[in-house]
Amino acid sequence: MLRSWQFWTVMAAIGALTGLFAFAFTTDPKIVPSPLVGRPALAFALTELNSGERLGLADLKGTPFLLNFWASWCVACRDEARLLEAAHRRWGASAERFRVIGIAVQDTPDAARKFARRFGKTYFLALDTAEGDISLNYGLYGVPESFFVGADGVVRHKQIGALTAEVIENQVTGMLDTAKATQ
Amino acid sequence: MNAIRRPPPPSHWILPWLALSFYLGLAGAPVMALGERELEEKVQAITVQLRCPTCQGISVKDSAAAFSRQIRDKVRRMVREGQSEQAILAFFVSRYGEWILRAPKKEGLGLVLWVLPGAAMVFAGGLIGYKLLRGSRGARDATQGEPAAQLTAEQRARIDRDLRRFEEQI
Repeated sequence: MLRSWQFWTVMAAIGALTGLFAFAFTTDPKIVPSPLVGRPALAFALTELNSGERLGLADLKGTPFLLNFWASWCVACRDEARLLEAAHRRWGASAERFRVIGIAVQDTPDAARKFARRFGKTYFLALDTAEGDISLNYGLYGVPESFFVGADGVVRHKQIGALTAEVIENQVTGMLDTAKATQ
Repeated sequence: MNAIRRPPPPSHWILPWLALSFYLGLAGAPVMALGERELEEKVQAITVQLRCPTCQGISVKDSAAAFSRQIRDKVRRMVREGQSEQAILAFFVSRYGEWILRAPKKEGLGLVLWVLPGAAMVFAGGLIGYKLLRGSRGARDATQGEPAAQLTAEQRARIDRDLRRFEEQI
């Protein structure tokens, strides 16, 4: 028969292991906490792929926006391409209450334009620098990745992997409601 | 009659000139190579501490992924700008979180991760040592004690009986 201290040592070890397994199996490995969430969005300067229009963070003051990092070679980016365009047409194109901004990373202008034409993208598209300055500044793990930024310029949500219609709906309506409430 | 002074043949001046160029080249080369080598050593010392964002368990230094290459270039630029190792690591932690560091920080919860394996080993070693010590002491006590004194008269009689039977069978 185990003595009392031996019994409790074994029980503590079993409890710790059970806790560890429970944590591992109930945690989604795709959800990686970003230190950027809850902090002001970081500055960027972009040039539109087709029109050459310039856009910086300062130009977006007071407007909630979605910063989507993508690439023409990225398969998962195809899944969300039409959802992003739909979000742009629903909240951005006519109402100008919300903006979708796509930044192609590790890509070429021609390949990015071809991809945009194929999926009918009409929102603001730009290329990251060859050095990946914006990607590294935003702590990218890969593509696609998206940042929802509120009207106050604070990052509300970071999505790793392809966006879904539900995530876009929830985030955009949430940001628009907050913007309306603070006006 | 004036003697015509001919210029020295090329073999007279080309060789010293080449030797001088070669010497100056050699003299200058180590300075340049050392600077670049030191820079690369610093870059490697920093990038080995960073986790490749798109790989599994590989450092940025050892990864061939495009993101790792960009991080290496960024670190190289930051080192050239004169930024310290701490400042560069802090930059990446502020963008990626503590996750980007391959070794946890030696403070807060990270300190527990550093101390726990050592503490567990010391505890296990102490436990094994204690058990071994107690086992050997128990064995010594068993040999040095007086077990016969603890036997009842009936047990002694049974042992004697069994021994006699054993001796008869031999």
